[in-house]
Amino acid sequence: MASITVRFYSIYRLYLGMDRLSLQADDLGDALAQMEERVGPRLREQLQMRGIELDQKMQDFSLILVNGINIRNLGETKLREGSVLHIFPPSAGG
Amino acid sequence: MTVDKDIIQEISESVEICLAPDGKEYPVTGRQAVNSIARARGISGRDVEVAALERGIIPRCYLRNIGAIGLEGQIKLLQSSVAVVGAGGLGGTIIQLLARHGIGHIIVIDNDRFAEEDWNRQSLSTEEGLGEYKAIIAARRVGEINSAITVTPYVEKLTRANAHKLLKDAKVVADGLDNLPSRFAAEEACRELGIPFVYGTIAGFSGQLMTIFPEDVGLSSIYGPSHSLPERGVEVKTGTPSATPAMIAAWQVQEVIKAITGIGKPLRNRLLMLDAEEGVVDTIELGT
Repeated sequence: MASITVRFYSIYRLYLGMDRLSLQADDLGDALAQMEERVGPRLREQLQMRGIELDQKMQDFSLILVNGINIRNLGETKLREGSVLHIFPPSAGG
Repeated sequence: MTVDKDIIQEISESVEICLAPDGKEYPVTGRQAVNSIARARGISGRDVEVAALERGIIPRCYLRNIGAIGLEGQIKLLQSSVAVVGAGGLGGTIIQLLARHGIGHIIVIDNDRFAEEDWNRQSLSTEEGLGEYKAIIAARRVGEINSAITVTPYVEKLTRANAHKLLKDAKVVADGLDNLPSRFAAEEACRELGIPFVYGTIAGFSGQLMTIFPEDVGLSSIYGPSHSLPERGVEVKTGTPSATPAMIAAWQVQEVIKAITGIGKPLRNRLLMLDAEEGVVDTIELGT
C-alpha cells in the first residue's frame, strides 16, 4: 500500500473545487477506482451542467500521467510511495 | 553574406546616438536608413541590420530587446528562420511577436480562411480580412510590422507528407495548430529534422505549453501513443475566449527566443499548465 497524490488541473480543479486528493492505493487500478468513487460522479455532474455529456469513467475521457508518464505508455501498474497522478482533460485548441 | 566596406560606411553615416532607459548612450540607426541601403545594394534589410549590429550599431526598433538578449542574441534572431504552423489564435499572435522581435525569416503554414467566429481571439483577423487566407494576411501584417525581415506564406495544411518540405529551413517550429493529429505530425517531422518544436494548446481559460527538443519524449508523455487520439479536446465545449490564446502564444514566443539565443532554461520535459480561471500556473515534470 503506497501513499499517493492525485493532482487535478484545468476545469477539473475548478469543477471539483480541489486541486489534489490523497489516497492509499495498492496499484494504479486501485488508485483509479478510488478516484472514480470519490470524485467521478461530481465531475460528471459538473461537466453535464456545462453541456458536456459523458457516461464513461474519468480514466476513459481524461489524460492521466503517473509520475509524468501517460498511463497508456506504462508497462507496469505498481505505484511507489509518493507517486503523483496528474489528471486533466485533453485540449487541442489553437 | 559578405557586406562590403561601402555599406559599413553608409550605415555608420546613418548613426545617431540614443540615450537608452539604462542611462547609457548607444549608436543607433533607423528603418529608413536600413531600407534605403538595402534597396540601393539589392540586399535584404535584415542583412543590413546584422551588419550594423556586428559593429555595435543597434537598429532603433530593437533597442528595447537588447537589454534582455544582447547584440549577439539579436543577431542570432535576425539570422534565423522560424516556422509557425497555424495562423489562428495562437499562431496569429506568435507571428506578430516574432516579427517585432526581429526573427529574420518567418514561415507561415495555414490553409484556412478567416471567418467571423475567429474575430474574438485571432489577432490577425479583421472585418476587412473576412474570407481571406490567414497565411496571406499574416505575411502582409509581418511586412507592416517589420519590413526588414522576410516572410514565406504557405496556403497548405501541414501533413506527414509535406511536413519535411515546409519545415526543413526552420531553426525552430512553433505550434499554432488546432487538432492533435496535426500536432503529432509536426512533432514527428521536427524530431526527424532535428528541430525544436514549441508545443502549445488552449481550451477555455486554460492552456499548456512545452518545448520539445528532438531527443525529448514529447507529446507521447502527455497523450500516450499517437494512434487512438481524439482529434479535438474539451475546447469544443469550453470555447476559446479572447485572451487565452494570447497568453499561451506569448509564452511560446519566449520559448522560441530562448531556443535560438540559448538564453534561459527551456521548458523541456516540463509541461506548463496555465489556469487563468483559478490564477494558477503549474509545471508537471514529465518522465523520460
